Amino acid sequence: MKIDIVTTRNGVRETVAYDYRPRQDGERPMILDVLLQAQATALPDLAFRYGCRARNCGVCTVDVNGRPRIACRARVRAGDRIEPMATLPVLADLVVRRDGIARQLQGRTTADHRDPDLNEEAPEAYHDLTACIECYACLDGCPMHARNFADDAADAALPDAATGYRWGNPFSLLKLQRLRLDPCVTEDGRQAALDAAIDLGLDACVGCKGCKCGVGIDLKGGVVGELLAAAGDRLSGDGASAD
Amino acid sequence: MTIEVEWRDYDVIVVGSGGAGSAAADAAAAEGARVLVVSKDPIACSDTKISEGNATVRGTVSDADTEQELSDNLRVSGADLPLPALTAAYAKDSRPAYDWYRAHGLRPKINRDRQGPFARPLAKGGHTVARSVGHKNAGVAFSHAAWDAVVEGAQIDYLEDAWFLDLAVAGAENGAPGRVAGGLVYHAATGTLVAVRASAVVMASGGLNTLYFPKTDTMRGNTGDGYAAAARAGADLVDMEQVQFLPFCLTAPASYEGLLVGEPSTASFLGVLRDRHGKVILDGVYLRTRAECSAAIMRAVADGRGTDGGGAYLDLTANARLPRSGKGFMRYLQTSMPSAYRTARQALSKPAVRCEESWEVRPAAHYTMGGIRVDATGASVGGPGDGTAAAGLSGLFAAGQAMGGVFGANRLGSTALTENVVFGLRAGRGAADHARAHPHSAGDDAFHPLIAAATAQFGHGGDQAPALLKLELQRAAWDHIGPARTADSLNRMDAVIDDLADRAGRAAVPDYALWNQAFIEWVELRSLLDVARAVTAAARERDASVGGHVRLDRPQVSILAQPYSTVVRGQTGNGGVLRVQAVRARRPRMPAMRLLAMRLKDAWRKTQAKALCLLPPALLDPILDRRYRAILGPGDAAPAVSPGGPAAAVADAAE
Ligand SMILES: Cc1cc2nc3c(=O)[nH]c(=O)nc-3n(C[C@H](O)[C@H](O)[C@H](O)COP(=O)(O)OP(=O)(O)OC[C@H]3O[C@@H](n4cnc5c(N)ncnc54)[C@H](O)[C@@H]3O)c2cc1C
Ligand code: SF4
Ligand code: SF4
Ligand code: FES
Repeated sequence: MKIDIVTTRNGVRETVAYDYRPRQDGERPMILDVLLQAQATALPDLAFRYGCRARNCGVCTVDVNGRPRIACRARVRAGDRIEPMATLPVLADLVVRRDGIARQLQGRTTADHRDPDLNEEAPEAYHDLTACIECYACLDGCPMHARNFADDAADAALPDAATGYRWGNPFSLLKLQRLRLDPCVTEDGRQAALDAAIDLGLDACVGCKGCKCGVGIDLKGGVVGELLAAAGDRLSGDGASAD
Repeated sequence: MTIEVEWRDYDVIVVGSGGAGSAAADAAAAEGARVLVVSKDPIACSDTKISEGNATVRGTVSDADTEQELSDNLRVSGADLPLPALTAAYAKDSRPAYDWYRAHGLRPKINRDRQGPFARPLAKGGHTVARSVGHKNAGVAFSHAAWDAVVEGAQIDYLEDAWFLDLAVAGAENGAPGRVAGGLVYHAATGTLVAVRASAVVMASGGLNTLYFPKTDTMRGNTGDGYAAAARAGADLVDMEQVQFLPFCLTAPASYEGLLVGEPSTASFLGVLRDRHGKVILDGVYLRTRAECSAAIMRAVADGRGTDGGGAYLDLTANARLPRSGKGFMRYLQTSMPSAYRTARQALSKPAVRCEESWEVRPAAHYTMGGIRVDATGASVGGPGDGTAAAGLSGLFAAGQAMGGVFGANRLGSTALTENVVFGLRAGRGAADHARAHPHSAGDDAFHPLIAAATAQFGHGGDQAPALLKLELQRAAWDHIGPARTADSLNRMDAVIDDLADRAGRAAVPDYALWNQAFIEWVELRSLLDVARAVTAAARERDASVGGHVRLDRPQVSILAQPYSTVVRGQTGNGGVLRVQAVRARRPRMPAMRLLAMRLKDAWRKTQAKALCLLPPALLDPILDRRYRAILGPGDAAPAVSPGGPAAAVADAAE
């Protein structure tokens, strides 16, 4: 079974046609099976992320034929093309640099606003958002995240992953909305989370077709819709960040 | 090739960002220490994240669950190997540790009567009292808490995609342990070596279970880096022969090999283990420890009675068959270990998923009970083999799976997530105190040989691929130092290690610095070889079967024998090759009356369980039905969306 794997070594990009040998008759392997076999045979230095093999850790996302897939639980077909996620900078082969996403939330997730009574139950919606495994599949096609790279304004520096991206993405909005649903977060904390969402570019969501989650979380209704409703007319201006 | 070196200064380095690492970092930062978290996986992507999310919280179900009760429970199930000071600390802190997760957003169901988290009133295998709190979204809910603790406040610096390579140690002389001067890190995302000066290091780097890949259900990062670095720096490791093989993991299909589908409590009241001929090899499974179940399977396999996949059959059909309680059982199965059941649902046949057929299971490496030898503050302990605490490597701390001594020969289900934070907080505070008392760096001299050795690997010429050597080592480890061992297999492992170490010296590594996978594979191969040496040496010193250490050619350790732990002491030879030596540390015996009381209670529960099975179905069904109602509580449906769930998702192209 021929699969194309796109590799990048020391800045050089290449497409390698890998011939997967099925382990049983008619096996339909997962993407990760192909990568593991390639590493165990023809491409021992192949770089890719994985952890749990069970769609829990969220690190193995790659693009297959241009769409993000969770490698350990998505099957491949002959002729498929495996590439690194197109939404983040490539470090090597299928490995992208992820930390610019999380870092944009440093200092923004309201550590000081916890209410001390821990014996409060969270609403169902809170648990729905906690299902996020941080796979970053939702960055695909997000205009807000794309601003980080499209912004060729006069003073635009390259987006700096080491300090966190300037503009947000569905994952970051989910983290902020989750705080707003947490019964142990104070009203101030909720307000700060909304302010952070607006500052990250929530206005991009107005009229956007909406984002899709890798594990099936309702981002459009449960995250973006809620934040837009809460922001109300604070987004009506033309500026990228309101206030 | 010269890879760039960046120097940094901190008070405390924390290695790992799972539950233990994030708690340690949080505690050290709260004490005012300047903290750097180093994590090879993205922040919080760890065993903590992929766990089933069941946490031991003392006293959630009953007041009879005293500190003594829990502490004794850990000691007895760990075959008296656990250090009493550690089990006592665990029992004392279980609730505050759990509340640390809650302070960072973990939200359980609340038991209003007892004003605390709701725990199901069914004790997990080996627990004397029910005290395991389950969570929606399982371990992912815990990882959000760990992530928030590291990222949210911006008081903690962190590097991800960063491999901690070695401890820099000053002043080690004549076999006496020295003092931590910091550590050397490979930051793959920037292609630099980071030399971090710090007078305290907390190892929270998880276990060594990847040594048995693919027969493991843990994260790939469990390559024992923390144990190996500690041993190379001269610190003691304890109980290294004790690896927990979780009995109920999959043999097939290949993509699912090694993944967990249950633990003893999954078997519920009527589940049994059978050999390939259908003969029962273990009953009362839900009251057994994991070690007992795995040992029963591996002994059957050694007798030639194993299944084609080298395991046994977990037969749950009797639970599911009863007309009323069968439904309760299925709901219990789906919700008590939700990720495990989801794995089963994807991997097994439809009748098996409905429990109309047995499941083929085989043990897989799940947890390392052994680890860095520490005291109740998480500080490294060394000294003579008689168990007297003496100073270990000054400035080294450990917590979570990276530490040893709290679970001994067996870890009970749901105890690790609590352990992470009990000892994470202690080690974080201890490290901050230590840094305050030792504000001056122990000097840069210790870094230079480490930097030279790491640099020499970039562009290293040779004919061996580290990734392939790793696979060879993993296959041999399963066969020779896996869930069943003999004197002969230990000797064979020595030979394998020597051969692979030799070939690792001929590793081919390209010379570019940015995310060099061959270098990463070489680093992890080196760790795995070092921990394989430690496991083999400890396994040889432990010359009878106990807990996770099953010797097919030796009897079970006698309960009358004086308990001892194995201690592995490392020393790095000239070529940077670790030499290990194993000695014994005596352990205090549990007072006879308390041991007797616990054994009697256990025997009584097993007798009751047996008697239950003898009841005719018409009587049994309503009894079990009532039990499941009590266990499940009201309205406990599986959540609609959960990680790994079958919900429509862009990233899943399953069909
Ligand atoms: C499938 C599964 C289910 C489980 N279910 C439960 C359960 O229900 N209840 C329970 O109590 N326990 C459970 N456990 C066990 C428990 O999850 C782990 O033992 C525990 O989470 C370990 O936590 P830790 O912080 O010590 O290590 P981990 O959470 O594994 O974190 C280790 C960290 O160290 C980092 N690291 C490792 N090496 C290096 C290095 N060289 N340099 C830098 N960073 C490094 C890793 O990237 C990671 O961040 C389960 C385990 C598994 C695998
Ligand atoms: S919101 Fe969904 S797609 Fe985005 S990171 Fe979380 S799990 Fe992945
Ligand atoms: S709705 Fe907002 S977060 Fe979602 S894709 Fe559009 S811009 Fe991005
Ligand atoms: S390997 Fe963990 S989600 Fe794929």
